[in-house]
Amino acid sequence: MNNETHKINELKNKIEHIENKKISKSKLKKQSNASFGFKISTELVSALVVGVGIGLIVDKYLGTKPFGLITFFILGAFAGILNIYRVMRRIEKQQ
Amino acid sequence: MASTDGHSGTEKHSPLEQFEISPLVHFETSIGDLAFTNSSLTMVITVVAIILFLTLTVSTRSIIPSRMQIMSEMSYNFIAQLLNDTVGDQGKKYFPFVFAIFMFVLVGNMVGMIPYSFTFTSHIIVTFALAAVVFIGVTVLGFMKHGLHFFSFFIVPGLPWYMLPILIPIEVISYLARPISLSVRLFANMLAGHTLLKVFAGFVLPLGIIGVVPLAFIVALTGLEILIAFLQAYVFAILTCLYINDAIHLH
Repeated sequence: MNNETHKINELKNKIEHIENKKISKSKLKKQSNASFGFKISTELVSALVVGVGIGLIVDKYLGTKPFGLITFFILGAFAGILNIYRVMRRIEKQQ
Repeated sequence: MASTDGHSGTEKHSPLEQFEISPLVHFETSIGDLAFTNSSLTMVITVVAIILFLTLTVSTRSIIPSRMQIMSEMSYNFIAQLLNDTVGDQGKKYFPFVFAIFMFVLVGNMVGMIPYSFTFTSHIIVTFALAAVVFIGVTVLGFMKHGLHFFSFFIVPGLPWYMLPILIPIEVISYLARPISLSVRLFANMLAGHTLLKVFAGFVLPLGIIGVVPLAFIVALTGLEILIAFLQAYVFAILTCLYINDAIHLH
């Protein structure tokens, strides 16, 4: 009887130990939230850069001065949001 | 040239001084000076360090591995596992490519953490060249696997036809943005981290006894920087794997 309670207590301690380890691991994940935010922002900005670049090239060679930039800027913004959506979906799948 | 004249008088230690490229050996050619710079030197050191590390540690091939052998086997397993998780069995062929890129970026970042050395990953031309190799390689791979059918990658399945004129340009832009986001992420992280270290290092001596505070901060920040150095190499490798997966499986 006494032996059994001792064993149960031992198991309890083990479980607590593992649980604590898990918590410290999730804390470590929280620290990399800054890099996660940075990842998201680069996705948005890079799509905008490509959109504006294409817009400027189109304007230069087709002579449609403001309209190419406007169109491709908007398309680039959409592409950036699409990129963010994909990253989020991938992260959601992992969890 | 102008920048060296600019801060010679008042400012002696600019935080951006560490990123300056200085030629070590000149090679005059018809298209200009293809000098062997300090950046090239660190790249050579990085490659030599990787080769020495990987060959020397596994040369004994003992069944009960030594600590160093475990380290190189772990780095092998890490990428093999990553490739297996993201691409699957078909991804094994591309292991040398992903492993080479991962080790180059990781050891390059780590060599950059050594005081007085140079961080070549903090120059966008280096990271952009790496990202361009990945981007062009993956695109060629997609065309080799699927031929012209690769263009169906830009068509989202299950959409009405009248949405295609809007969505195809968006998909193409988002595809072209890949190398930019890949290179800017690595470059900006390394640049920002190393600049921050230097800025805080500049506070230590002028503050006198209170300079202990920024000194302690630098110690903590160096640890964080090493974490970021690893994390960015990991992100670079995992994104390469994901792009290979996209090229092989399309959607």
